[in-house]
Amino acid sequence: MQSAPRNPTVVEKLRRYLISQEGVLFLIMLVAVLFLATRTDKFLTVDNLLQQGRFMTEVGLIAIPMTYIIITGGIDLSVGSIMGLTAIVLGWSWQELGFPLELAIVTGVLSGTLAGFVNGLFIVRVGVPPLIMTLATLALFRGLAEGISQARSARGYPEWFFELGQGEVLGIPTQLWLVIVSVIIFAIVLARTQLGRALYAIGNNETGARFSGLRVNRYLLLIYSFSGFMSGLAGYIFVSRVSTTRSDMGTGIELDVIAAVVLGGTSIFGGTGSVVGTMIGVVLIQLLKNGLALSGVTSDATIVVIGSVLIFAILVNNFVQLRRDGS
Amino acid sequence: MKKVFALSLILALLVMVGMPLSADGHERWDGADDLAVNPLACGMGDEMMTDDSDDMAEEEEMEMMEYDGGQPAMMDMDMAGMDITLVDVPKLIGIGYFAATTLGQQQAAEELGNVSVTTDAPTEANIDDQIQVIDTYITQGVDGILFAANDPVAIAPVLRKALEAGIHVVGYDANSEPDAREWFVNQAEFNGIAKALVDSLADQMGADASFGIVTSTFTTPNQARWIAEMWAYASECYPDLTWLETLEAQEDAALSFQQAQTLINKYGEDMDGIFAMTSVATPNSADAVQQAGLCEDVAVVGLATPNGMKPYVNAGCVRDVILWNPVDLGYAAVYVTRAVVDGEFAPGDGSVMAGRLGELMVVNGSEVLLGPPFVFNADNINDFDF
Amino acid sequence: MNKDKAAPTPRRPLDFLGIALAVVIIGTYFLLPFVIQPERGPSTVAVLTESKKANELGIFKTGIEIVPLAALGMLLLGAWNALVPGAARAISLLLALAGLVALVYYINFFRDYAAEQADFISQMGIAFWIMLGASAVAVLQVLIPRAVPTPRYRPAKLFGNQESVILFGLLLLVIVVGLANPRYLQERNISDNLAGNAYIAVAALGMTMVIVTGNIDISVGSLVGLLAVASGRLVVAGLPAPLAWLTPLVVGAGFGALIGFLVAYMRIPSIVVTLGMLSIIKGILIIWVQGERVTDMPADYFLSQMRPLGIPMPIIIMVLLTIGVALWMRYSATGRAFYALGGNAEAARLSGLSRRRLVMTVFILNGVFVGVASVMYSTQFNIIQATPPPALELSVITASVVGGVSILGGTGTAIGSTMATLLLNFIRSAMIFINISPFWLKAVQGLLILVTVLADLLRRRRQRL
Repeated sequence: MQSAPRNPTVVEKLRRYLISQEGVLFLIMLVAVLFLATRTDKFLTVDNLLQQGRFMTEVGLIAIPMTYIIITGGIDLSVGSIMGLTAIVLGWSWQELGFPLELAIVTGVLSGTLAGFVNGLFIVRVGVPPLIMTLATLALFRGLAEGISQARSARGYPEWFFELGQGEVLGIPTQLWLVIVSVIIFAIVLARTQLGRALYAIGNNETGARFSGLRVNRYLLLIYSFSGFMSGLAGYIFVSRVSTTRSDMGTGIELDVIAAVVLGGTSIFGGTGSVVGTMIGVVLIQLLKNGLALSGVTSDATIVVIGSVLIFAILVNNFVQLRRDGS
Repeated sequence: MKKVFALSLILALLVMVGMPLSADGHERWDGADDLAVNPLACGMGDEMMTDDSDDMAEEEEMEMMEYDGGQPAMMDMDMAGMDITLVDVPKLIGIGYFAATTLGQQQAAEELGNVSVTTDAPTEANIDDQIQVIDTYITQGVDGILFAANDPVAIAPVLRKALEAGIHVVGYDANSEPDAREWFVNQAEFNGIAKALVDSLADQMGADASFGIVTSTFTTPNQARWIAEMWAYASECYPDLTWLETLEAQEDAALSFQQAQTLINKYGEDMDGIFAMTSVATPNSADAVQQAGLCEDVAVVGLATPNGMKPYVNAGCVRDVILWNPVDLGYAAVYVTRAVVDGEFAPGDGSVMAGRLGELMVVNGSEVLLGPPFVFNADNINDFDF
Repeated sequence: MNKDKAAPTPRRPLDFLGIALAVVIIGTYFLLPFVIQPERGPSTVAVLTESKKANELGIFKTGIEIVPLAALGMLLLGAWNALVPGAARAISLLLALAGLVALVYYINFFRDYAAEQADFISQMGIAFWIMLGASAVAVLQVLIPRAVPTPRYRPAKLFGNQESVILFGLLLLVIVVGLANPRYLQERNISDNLAGNAYIAVAALGMTMVIVTGNIDISVGSLVGLLAVASGRLVVAGLPAPLAWLTPLVVGAGFGALIGFLVAYMRIPSIVVTLGMLSIIKGILIIWVQGERVTDMPADYFLSQMRPLGIPMPIIIMVLLTIGVALWMRYSATGRAFYALGGNAEAARLSGLSRRRLVMTVFILNGVFVGVASVMYSTQFNIIQATPPPALELSVITASVVGGVSILGGTGTAIGSTMATLLLNFIRSAMIFINISPFWLKAVQGLLILVTVLADLLRRRRQRL
């Protein structure tokens, strides 16, 4: 910032951006990246960063609907199990039922969507709290995956199937395009459309939103199904990346996703948050993992650092927001 | 709203109805994945330690099988005799078994003097995390990667990438697809382990014993293969053995304990033995038997590291613990990699020299066999510390 | 909303349908072996079991126990219906379920029959077909129109709270599984089940308090792992056993205080703090012990293996702590303040409760309970694994919420959470006893969690009516 911009409104604007949730987080990320880059020259290379993009695809995709859901004050713990279920349905319908692979992919992702829809249906129509519902389906969907697969894994996919998970388009990992497009679309949906505003309204005051005529149930059903769909998609991409299906795929990914979302400034109590913030959270965690490993830190120490960064980032943001609101 | 509720109840009921339909109660689980089994010849105990018959079988196989591993891209520099950096990526860190393999690797590195090994792996046995760790080390640039795969197929793409980058790749403990690595140091062949386990049980409780199994998960490749081989060997050599049930216990100490208790309580005097397939399940199954006061009636035979089993073996509750020496396994993996780098060990060779372990044979095309499985018992278990 | 007490509805023949069907089925069931194999003589359960074991009777191959069990259920329902005719609607639905369960057996039977192409179907005899018919009637009776009784019966009175729903579920599970496999009921199995899961129940007590205040703790599993190893290492290093038992409580309280400080004073949501602590503690554990198990603990260390008065120690600890927490939460000022805090933080603030102090307190208490749980865990076995118990936090949270703790705070009880822990873990071993395919175990478990939660919701809805 050597050459001070003449237009004061730009400064104002910049300042506003910088002290927003996302801005602070972005600065933290910048500091982390610069620090890591000084530790090893292997880190800040295009190849490495693209490869990390490939690895964060699944978490990134699921984090979008998770942001939506957490903004409404809900949560979805079953995403990892839906990933496993999708993978198994995909492999099983292809290998055991003899579906053409294209159809098997559609079946798999649809079954993921259906799983999300079931979550939504019970949450909306029966009134089961999201945490409890998805805790139950966390076990149920994983169980279905195990039951359907009978502990067998489906392998031996044709070459074209791996294009999505292992291929590249225009020098960028194929699945990363999907993430980029999804992020742009769904960031705009959240920030600029009626649906987005409705989600914030639900998160701030669900009863109020109902009384003001919002079709809350429909929106909720939609986002839980969306979560199922994205988890299904992530499951498909994951199978394509690792070339096999197992019923334990995606175990524990829900915590990674939630960590990224809350790190991105989405309040766990609902009402605030953004897709951009979430993505910064996803990228920050992935780069930390990678950068620390590249600079010779082993995984056991890395998880300590990531845990601390999670707490620290929210702490810093709390102070900044507190001061901003105070001044 | 009521309709939805009723509907969901009916749905739930249908699933429950479907479940018994999809399986007949006492389904035997035989390790899945439909790979061919290769049971060893029948017979008890002794040859296990003298390894004559095993070697015979292996030599036959060796002639049959061509080298089927992969090769790294050629590098300009000849690394023979130069200092090399290896990274070791076991399934996970923080458990005793892989702490032992790491120890062996460090011993080998110290002996050789021109090798340095660092161990890094995810903190949970997660296929994706393991892939990411390996990828990171490819980026970082190491001379060789040692791995123990969480999934043989899932890990293959990243290993191939390592080969393409000119990195030597050697597996141990848990294999990958053969063409994704150069060599695999096989701790003991699946059929050898299976034979040792089944022989031990039959010896302790008679050839008509009945037993349950506590394993990690049905999808864990090594455990699945052992159980499949056990089934094949038992049905050939001990047709009167009764297979009761296989239970999952993850790598969870408390769950292993409870699953063993459940087996004991469910079958009572109808069960003579428990096979425990992991180094967590074995001590905790033994604990369950010991606490139930059934050391005489239920034999626990399992795979475990000696340190975890000393309390039970010394107390006389467990007779045989079967395992290879994981310290030697890690040790051999480093020696094999060194030999590969130095060009002393190439496709087609029938054996490799591995320091204090002497000459190790090549089997199944591209696997280096550590030796026959080792049986720890009250006589020797206190001599080991890992 | 109809509160006036009308005259009891007069009994009608339909009210006794359940009993009638049950009597028919159970009667014919005992006739069955006699009909099929007259030469075997008296039709007793012993003969049945024997024939089944010897696999002589094809009919018994796939769990004929289901049929009399379902009939037993019908009998109970019928008796209930006769006593409380007002519940006719609900009971007819349940009766249909019981019928459906019985029919499962026949579906299985005919499947097997088709597979083996056996010819014994012609020899089945009238008893077999009567049983089948009665089961079908049990399903179909739901279609019979019923008079709407007044006042409307509310099961809420019977299942007034989540504890009784869970207790009922627990009893039902134990009885049904016990009938299917009597070995389930042996004393050792019940006591193993209770003792083995006591540490989860104790951790769930702490979690219940945390959730009641509207917070959550997902670092429980890691902390149990760390404290268990710490306790074991201390005692191996020569510390007297009682001190090794106490240290985890103190250290746990310390971690609780740290979490509480960050939540209460730094205003970081508890889920964020504990997500972070989950990784931090796990990392510390791995760096510290490098996977080395703890062995060679002195004989007086094994608290969980002691049996004062013949009762396993974990059961005693679990029961005492549950009662203690239940009373404390209900009658002490702080305990009641927890509910106030979770129910309506603003009101709690206005009434002069210090939110910060309460949150601090609840996390410290939780840390102590995690400490107790870790000691119960570490003294259970002769070796202590150096890894945190996998997914323990999920078991603990599930137990708390199934036990009736509202995740939004404000409601929930200690007794409910302990009983839910027991129910959830009893289900797991019960399913092994009744030979559910191991591949489907987890699915059934998930389903049963869902059903328990739904039953609770149904109860609440009825109560609101």
